[in-house]
Amino acid sequence: MKKPRTDITNESAKFVLNAYRPNGADAQDPVFRAALEQATRDPELAEWFKEQRSFDSLIVAKLAELQPPATLYSAILDGVANRSSARRFTMRPLLSLAAVLVLSAAILVPLLMERGSGSKMMEQYQRANLTMLDSTPVPKLDMVTADFSRTQQYLAEKKAPFLPFLPGELRDLPTAGCKTLHWNEQEFSLTCFRLPSGELLHLFVIDDKAFPSINVGDRFKEMNGWHFKCELISGMLVMFVSRAPMPEIEKFI
Amino acid sequence: MTHELDLEAVVRRFYASLYRFALSLTKNEAEAGDLTQQTFFILAQRSHQIRDTSKVKCWLFTTLRREFLRALRIQSSHPHVEFRSEIHDAPALSTDALRALDAKAVIDALGQVEPTYRTAVELFYLSELSYKEIAHSLDIPIGTVMSRLSRGKEQLKAILASAFSENSDKIIPLKKDEEAAH
Repeated sequence: MKKPRTDITNESAKFVLNAYRPNGADAQDPVFRAALEQATRDPELAEWFKEQRSFDSLIVAKLAELQPPATLYSAILDGVANRSSARRFTMRPLLSLAAVLVLSAAILVPLLMERGSGSKMMEQYQRANLTMLDSTPVPKLDMVTADFSRTQQYLAEKKAPFLPFLPGELRDLPTAGCKTLHWNEQEFSLTCFRLPSGELLHLFVIDDKAFPSINVGDRFKEMNGWHFKCELISGMLVMFVSRAPMPEIEKFI
Repeated sequence: MTHELDLEAVVRRFYASLYRFALSLTKNEAEAGDLTQQTFFILAQRSHQIRDTSKVKCWLFTTLRREFLRALRIQSSHPHVEFRSEIHDAPALSTDALRALDAKAVIDALGQVEPTYRTAVELFYLSELSYKEIAHSLDIPIGTVMSRLSRGKEQLKAILASAFSENSDKIIPLKKDEEAAH
């Protein structure tokens, strides 16, 4: 019986062996078998392969010297933990269904009524924001960063409303990121901050001209576990929203 | 059979190599950190959809690259590095010369590889994905991966040799001193 031909040229072998990983993980892959056998037979190819593996190993080792920032690992875990806790909530089917029904009614009823006063519009806006925060999957942030200035730079580039100066002690908090949104044909922005407890504090900013009249209270309200409050700052209607306990929120606002 | 994804273990195992890959794409440490975080954030959102946990690594690198490209489209401006044709004429690089270069020089050199070949080479060195996984990640045939690796690595060697010869001016006096000492 004729033995199958396995010889390949050195050039073909080099072409294939370029994909051979320096950690040896491909040793059992049949794609490399013929090329590896050729390297055992041909000294010139063997020398080339040795140099190639040495080069690859050195590149991998050099690149491994680049270390991520010290805070990156914990920042990732924080983000993952926040998301996991949000998912746990959505896994309670009856509670979720009830919340959806209540929130849907809260939004649809005012929308079905004739568009009324500015305060009604504000209620709609607030409820729309709370519903969005409760939705699954959670809306994706346009930019994920811990740097507040980068979020505001992004919002400025997008020509979305933002606050040039942060109220209270918010400036001490790292951000989770930001997003631009639309409501009633009006663009507005969302910037999320990370509170020390791990909960998020959401800051919605919209031009106050979006509402014919504005009635803001000086106290936080509660709805479906969310604490929220609106303020007028520099011609912007600012809405703070968080699930964190009030004592923690009040430290920063 | 499905396995529950241990997110913390996945982060611990892959975040450093993902960060390096992000750094090679963005050329910016802050953006690389953000991109790495964003990738794990997406993983956390979709972890329940991942059936085959053995493919998480490939999924992470593919997603990070996709997010990078999406951000590029959003920003619509990014540094574009043209391949320098003169590097083909650069001298060969010895192992000792390569050892003398620092990690930043290597990642800078990676960034100068022609864009067509660059990502395959970056994935090969920074993720240590197999050629099959690279093909899956980039959605290209296996033969194309091998071709890109072959040409890309050739370019990388030439760029590194060029970088070394540019820097070697600084160490020539030392060499001469050493020779004089002998």
